[in-house]
Amino acid sequence: MSQARKVLVADDSEAVTTLLVTALEMAGYEVTIAKNGNEAYEMGKTGEFDLALLDHLMPGLLGIEVIAKWQADGLEIPVIMLSGVDDERTIVDSLDLGAVDFVRKPFRLPELMARIRQRLRD
Amino acid sequence: MNGTQIALLAVGIVFVVDVVLLFGLITLKTVHRRRMERHDRRRSAYLGVLSRRMAFPLHTDYIDPKVVSDGAFLDAVIDLRNTMAGPEIETLAGIIDRYGLVKRQAAHLRSRFPLGRRLRAAVSLAEMGDESSAPVLIEYLNDREPEIRIQCARGLGRMQHTPAIDAIIDRFGEESPWVRSRFADTLVGFGAGAVWSLLAYIRVNHDHGENEGVIEAIRVLGTIGERDIGPPLSELLSVFQDPELKIATIDALGYIGGPLAVTPLIGFLDADDWRLRAKAAHSLGEIGDPLANPSLRTSLEDDNWWVRRNSAAALAGISGGVELLHEALHAGDMFARDAAAEALADCGELGKARERQERGQATVADLQLLSFMTEDVLVP
Repeated sequence: MSQARKVLVADDSEAVTTLLVTALEMAGYEVTIAKNGNEAYEMGKTGEFDLALLDHLMPGLLGIEVIAKWQADGLEIPVIMLSGVDDERTIVDSLDLGAVDFVRKPFRLPELMARIRQRLRD
Repeated sequence: MNGTQIALLAVGIVFVVDVVLLFGLITLKTVHRRRMERHDRRRSAYLGVLSRRMAFPLHTDYIDPKVVSDGAFLDAVIDLRNTMAGPEIETLAGIIDRYGLVKRQAAHLRSRFPLGRRLRAAVSLAEMGDESSAPVLIEYLNDREPEIRIQCARGLGRMQHTPAIDAIIDRFGEESPWVRSRFADTLVGFGAGAVWSLLAYIRVNHDHGENEGVIEAIRVLGTIGERDIGPPLSELLSVFQDPELKIATIDALGYIGGPLAVTPLIGFLDADDWRLRAKAAHSLGEIGDPLANPSLRTSLEDDNWWVRRNSAAALAGISGGVELLHEALHAGDMFARDAAAEALADCGELGKARERQERGQATVADLQLLSFMTEDVLVP
């Protein structure tokens, strides 16, 4: 039996984390929650995650700052950025920094799940 | 009892009263904190149940009908409503309908007091954004409490309930500036769907007493920026009596843009009122059509400093305008020269000229600008 893929969900909104954890666990993934950017960075440093869903605006480090710090540490965790801020600069900065995808909040759950499945297949 | 004993007794009484009050306050805060903690725990539990329903609509987790009276359930529903988009919202709408959340909050809004509960009901209805709440939200656009009126309008905007547009606009003239500005935010959210109703309101209500509502409506049109509204709005410029209406319209046309707005705005560069000339110059700069360049160049020699300044700033942003500003450094009018030089500095031309000079690549225009800025004279 293959091991469950591990996903890190980092968002300060309990509604977002609860919904995503529920949907991801139902889909068979193993999920860990971080409530702020610093927690996400520290958890990511363990190197055990196959994918991270990061909110852009979080207490502590911003989503893009978490990516930058992981990269500086030599970690290559695929990141899907979630954000209620949908200005072009945020999207471009996130993708330039190495995020593999950018999803606007509020999001469509089936679409986000499809993007997650696609990334974990790659 | 002597005086000292009376003083000691008074101090003792004050001390005891303070201790009792402090104890009471600490107790109240503790009770409140524990209540909030219980509320948060229930909210988390509801979020879990609702999330399972969202992620898997056939999920059969039982939700007790009594939850309708629990504020934590309402909070969980609203949190999820703000998290999700798309067809899955329908699942949530089904829960809102099945558990009668809208009906309950509508009843709270209809009650006479307390205000806190009525306000929370208005906010909840606005956040849920359920179409079934539209009639009650429209009804309470006339509520005696301003914040409730604001929340009702916000809710109608959130659900994009277009039949409410006229009801919101009709309140414009009667509202305080704060409420009006919040109504305006809601109307901006309706976008193009609101522009013709706004235009109709402006046509009917302009120059009848106070014009604040009409001015706000014009500002909303400018913020929405729907091109089709430019020509009919331009036509109203010749109808308005109040200069403030004209100023607001000229400003709005700058944001709306389009070639049809340019000609009427150029005409206002010759207006008697300097405020209209200054605003027209600014708006022409916003539109950025080179057709306005010759007129803006002429306005560099206007009597009024604001008109000169806005005309120069406008030219700095329009194709071909920078060349005209360089030419204006030779103008006979010293005020036109100053305005042109200031605009060239502000738009970065001065910095570029310095860089080119340092690289030995300065053009004649660069050298003229540099000498003007340093010595207030032009090199030949």
